Amino acid sequence: MNSATTSAPLRGGAGALARFLGWIQPRGTLTAGLAITFVILFMGFVAPFLYHVDPYAIHPDHALQPPSWAFPLGTDELGRDELALLLSGGLATLVVALPAAVLGFVLGVAYGLLSGLAPAWVDKLLMRLLDAVLALPSLIILIFFASLVTLNNTSLILLLGFISWPGLARLVRNETIAQRGRDFVLAAEQLGASRFYVARVHLIRSMAPVLVVNGTFMVGDSVFALSALSFLGLGVQPPQVSWGSLLQDALDIIALDPWWLIIPPGLLVFGSLIAASLTGQGLLQRWGNSR
Amino acid sequence: MIRMIGTRLASSSLTIFILVTMVFFMVHLTPGGPAYSILGQKATATSVAELNAKLGLDQNIFKQYAIWWWHLAHGQLGYSYLLNRPVGQLIVQYLCNTLVFYSVSIVISTVLSILIGLVQGVYFNRWPARLIGAFQLGFYALPAFFVAAMLVLWFSVDRPWFPASGIVNLRELHPSLADYAIHLVLPVTTITLLTISALSRYFGEAVHEELGKDYVRTARAKGVSFPAILFGHVLRNALRPLVTILGLSFPYIFTGGVIVESVFNYPGLGWFMWRSALGQDYPVLIAIVLLIGVLTIIGNLLADLVNGLLDPRASYE
Repeated sequence: MNSATTSAPLRGGAGALARFLGWIQPRGTLTAGLAITFVILFMGFVAPFLYHVDPYAIHPDHALQPPSWAFPLGTDELGRDELALLLSGGLATLVVALPAAVLGFVLGVAYGLLSGLAPAWVDKLLMRLLDAVLALPSLIILIFFASLVTLNNTSLILLLGFISWPGLARLVRNETIAQRGRDFVLAAEQLGASRFYVARVHLIRSMAPVLVVNGTFMVGDSVFALSALSFLGLGVQPPQVSWGSLLQDALDIIALDPWWLIIPPGLLVFGSLIAASLTGQGLLQRWGNSR
Repeated sequence: MIRMIGTRLASSSLTIFILVTMVFFMVHLTPGGPAYSILGQKATATSVAELNAKLGLDQNIFKQYAIWWWHLAHGQLGYSYLLNRPVGQLIVQYLCNTLVFYSVSIVISTVLSILIGLVQGVYFNRWPARLIGAFQLGFYALPAFFVAAMLVLWFSVDRPWFPASGIVNLRELHPSLADYAIHLVLPVTTITLLTISALSRYFGEAVHEELGKDYVRTARAKGVSFPAILFGHVLRNALRPLVTILGLSFPYIFTGGVIVESVFNYPGLGWFMWRSALGQDYPVLIAIVLLIGVLTIIGNLLADLVNGLLDPRASYE
């Protein structure tokens, strides 16, 4: 049995999803991924400023209406415009999820490089610590810590960032150890380069494709994790809406059959994860072919 | 074999020890602390100090940490702040519901995954396998809360076939087994749809890989029929990776469980963890984290043991 199957999770993030894409090998993966990414970023950062409808304005006479010309995606139980809520919720989701992914990325690279370049016993210790963090699924740890802190954008970014690094850290550590013995690194060391210089100039550059691809996956995972947390009421806090909390709100009144309140936020979370894994897998294919 | 189990247990215990220690100190070093969350808006400086003294939270944190392990060694997990009952008792109660839910889900997903995986492995890279592959991809990426919500919408709201929440009809004084069963339909379907995608995919891969091996060619050359090879040899060999994945994925099923149980208001461990997190009930949260850690280790060990039975060579690795 190869190592790929042993480490394969039953439910994984964007990275595991990309392996599925690799199996069916669709054409135009990168284009599709970038296109969906563009749509989602546009919805999050541009559309809220183009669609001049107050998401928090209530219209009690038009409560719970299915999509119409006046309300393109219908209204919720207070008569708020669902499209405006979705756009506002998208911005709220992305302003937390993107910085969190960046934080997790930086932490993962730093921890991985440190562990890979440090003496063997430090490496062992750091890896054991990493195992402890990885022993539990990240959502469990997230729920746990989310209940401890006051939830706002800053704490959520820190929380998501500090939970998301271990996977990348292990990858970077393994890459570092693999690269460390190669000629160009040895040559640089012989010429008197410091460890920090070698890490900065040689190691990071040589593993740049791996870093970019996995960074892409982390963005998708971050959106996904934040949405799950918000769905559970432990993410973006009301009155600010987010994709996850919109779904939870719709679930409270599900007996009234509000399909227009459930499908759009669900598809957006799904789309974010798909976009990240299509883009990452597309980049992998492209760089894999050019080598 | 026994040595392997010993080594694994030792290294896993160390992992759990680090985890629990981190969790303990994180909880107790947060500003405010449990007293604030119990008293809520009624908190005053005096009442907080009083409660801290009563709960032993005013003592040295290392002493508290030692006391906590001492109690743990004696099987005491503390009292729930919110429900004022022993944590152990509460957890057993919710764990039973969860175990029913998961055993049913895992059995159904495994059986279905084996069937789908066999089709996919046999027709590898042809249209039936590709069609299945597209579905697997879709369900792998769908968020659990979205799948659950859509199922409720279709099969509970639009068509009143199955109940959308709870474990049993509360109006019944003595609920029948059928009542329990019908409440399980939608949650189990959700978990099954979510786990089956990856599980059947990995199994299909394994079947395909096995079909290409020398022993299959030899058997065919000797005139053994294809069904006999498939069910007599390939199935058994391809089950090994499946068992490993099932064992390793135990905590991930549980993660999906938190979401699914919260959607369906199913009073299992995931639901309990969710409610405790919203109510900042730390003794319960710490105990659940510990329990999941232990269950993860048991899951991994069980996978190794079953693999050892399926293929005796594996236990010598």
